[in-house]
Amino acid sequence: MNTGRSVARTGRSALGILVALLAIAGPTAAQTVRIGAPLALTGGLADEGKKQQVAYDLWAKRVNAAGGMTVGAKKLKVEIVSYDYQTNEQRASQIAEKLITQDKVDFLTAPFGSGHTKVVAGVAERYGVPVVASVASSESVFNQGFRNLFGTLAPNAGLTDGLVRLVAKQLPATRRIAVLGREDVFPKSMAAAMVDAAKRGTLEVVYNELYPVGSMDFSAPLAKIKSLKPDWIFVAGYTKDLVLARKQMADLGVSAPVVTMVTGPAYREFAEALGPLAEGVTSATWWVPALAFRSDDVFGTTQAFTADFQAREKGEPDYVHASAAAALVALQKAVEKAGTLDKAKVRDALAALDIVTFYGPIRFSPNGMNAGRDLPIIQVQGGKAVVLQPEALKQGTLRPMK
Amino acid sequence: MIGAAVSRTLGSRGLPWVAGLWLVVLALSPLYGDNYIVKIATFVALYGVLALSWNFIGGYAGYPSFATGAFVGLGAYAGAICQNAGVPMIVAWLLAAIIVAGVAAAMGPVILRLRGHYFAIGSISLVEIGSVLASNWSGLTGGGEGLNVRFLPGGPDFIARFFLYAMLVILVAALATTIAVDRGRLGFGLRCIAQNEDAAEMVGVPSTRYKIAAFVLSGVFCGAAGAAYASWVGYIAPADAFSILLTVKVPVMVLLGGAGSVLGPLIGSAALVLLEETVWARFLDYHQAILGAIIVALIFFLPGGLLGLRLRWRS
Repeated sequence: MNTGRSVARTGRSALGILVALLAIAGPTAAQTVRIGAPLALTGGLADEGKKQQVAYDLWAKRVNAAGGMTVGAKKLKVEIVSYDYQTNEQRASQIAEKLITQDKVDFLTAPFGSGHTKVVAGVAERYGVPVVASVASSESVFNQGFRNLFGTLAPNAGLTDGLVRLVAKQLPATRRIAVLGREDVFPKSMAAAMVDAAKRGTLEVVYNELYPVGSMDFSAPLAKIKSLKPDWIFVAGYTKDLVLARKQMADLGVSAPVVTMVTGPAYREFAEALGPLAEGVTSATWWVPALAFRSDDVFGTTQAFTADFQAREKGEPDYVHASAAAALVALQKAVEKAGTLDKAKVRDALAALDIVTFYGPIRFSPNGMNAGRDLPIIQVQGGKAVVLQPEALKQGTLRPMK
Repeated sequence: MIGAAVSRTLGSRGLPWVAGLWLVVLALSPLYGDNYIVKIATFVALYGVLALSWNFIGGYAGYPSFATGAFVGLGAYAGAICQNAGVPMIVAWLLAAIIVAGVAAAMGPVILRLRGHYFAIGSISLVEIGSVLASNWSGLTGGGEGLNVRFLPGGPDFIARFFLYAMLVILVAALATTIAVDRGRLGFGLRCIAQNEDAAEMVGVPSTRYKIAAFVLSGVFCGAAGAAYASWVGYIAPADAFSILLTVKVPVMVLLGGAGSVLGPLIGSAALVLLEETVWARFLDYHQAILGAIIVALIFFLPGGLLGLRLRWRS
């Protein structure tokens, strides 16, 4: 009996304390700007998902260290609410819904995968929640007429046109190009953009094929390319594929004066995995640490971003890190301009944005993609990715491959 | 314990009521939950359809099929292509179901000649073939870029409810078919095939015809569900539509609940989806490992599925 009563008493007092705690916690929990992030932390896109996570965190720490984000008259701290969507489409759509309805986030970022970006944007569109996408560069991601999807990468064509111009200027003997691409959103669109750019630039496209997702052997397409003796070999795929393709090219003795791999050398993993074989491979990318933009955003300069990154991670940031942080910078600028967290007003502010950030200029086209600009072209020289273009940042000149 | 006690009081006659009650719980989710809960209820219904479908071939006939992912993917693409060609949405779903049934009927005689592990491998290859076709037939499927499906206009609440009830309608159809098969000649014949196909043949069960019928039944509802899913998400791509993960997950659900019964697939699909959801929400870092351990434990200790609890209690 006694025990029963004392248990009841303890229970009551525990309940009392709990209620008191809740009462205290309620009003003191300050308002924050909540940004939802479905991230691929496991599964096929885990490496890329982790890059986004690091960049978002860099941005959030920097903003909070400066007192927070200015929203009207207030300064609000920012908070990234993230979940692992396991590189799984169904999970991505579920998480988008959870972030919006249960975590009540103000805005969303898009995951890494192009298709997954579309799925998340589809859910957000119904709620009118703005989504910033940091790594979608294919126009097909933006072709559903969504009003709330904004991407910081410029369209793929911006990369290929620059490449064709540079090669035509410095190696005018280049005539015949072979294009091999992966049957997947980004690489396929990249390969198509290259074929278009080549035709506009009066190159002859001697080979234009796609390889299926999951290919473990490129010897058949490479043997065919070898027999065609092109002056320029262009391969679009993801890092693992490109490393394998480059190794097989060496094994089969396939070579050309110009070998371009997208996005290959833009990731430092490419040169690390290939060693001397990476030498001379060219690529185009959206961002390199050598860029020197000055801005009034939370990072201030490209160098400050790179330094911040290096203080935290080993090695240099690549375009995925920069673009992910830039997506949140764009969102911050839009919120500050709108002076409110109202989703529709922030959406309009994003659409009207025209700013320069540490990452470069950001101005969204009507379809939501960042407008094109002079994008960097790089070549691996001495084990490092060296900038060939734009002229202002030039660190070296295009060398033909041996 | 509780499950055993419930089924003891209900007895086997009461079991259909459990199914009915479960459908009501799902259908009322908009009343007690937000849109995220409704979305989970929709996924429970979707997986219920897939599990009931697999049960025809895997449960009753005892053929370990891994073709579920192929049926869902084919249904998704068929529905999306029909819808983009101007066919009204619901009609497109029906067409998708018919197309998938047709493909199953055409493929059945070929791969149902295989038995056991060979049949499993043969059926899983259908998923891979579907994926390769979808990514290479760019003119029709959009290839690796995927396919946009016309975006159904409407606010989030309307969309959430619409697709919940759409999935529930398909679920009720699959359930009604299961009950009919379970009580009819086909169910009896399929159980004979599962026990001993040669003996069944000898006593006059037309095994080839019955197996094909079970295979078609295991495809038709998946086709409709796949098409509805495509309309819901608004975008499909080869790798996610023809999913190997899905094709493996559905048999696990049925085995979890109890194969070759009416209620087993429903219980198993609900249990696995909700389990995944809870484990995932509680243990963000180790959820997959924990889930794997739970599945292994369940299969070890409950070889007859969750429904088997009832039998054990009785004995």
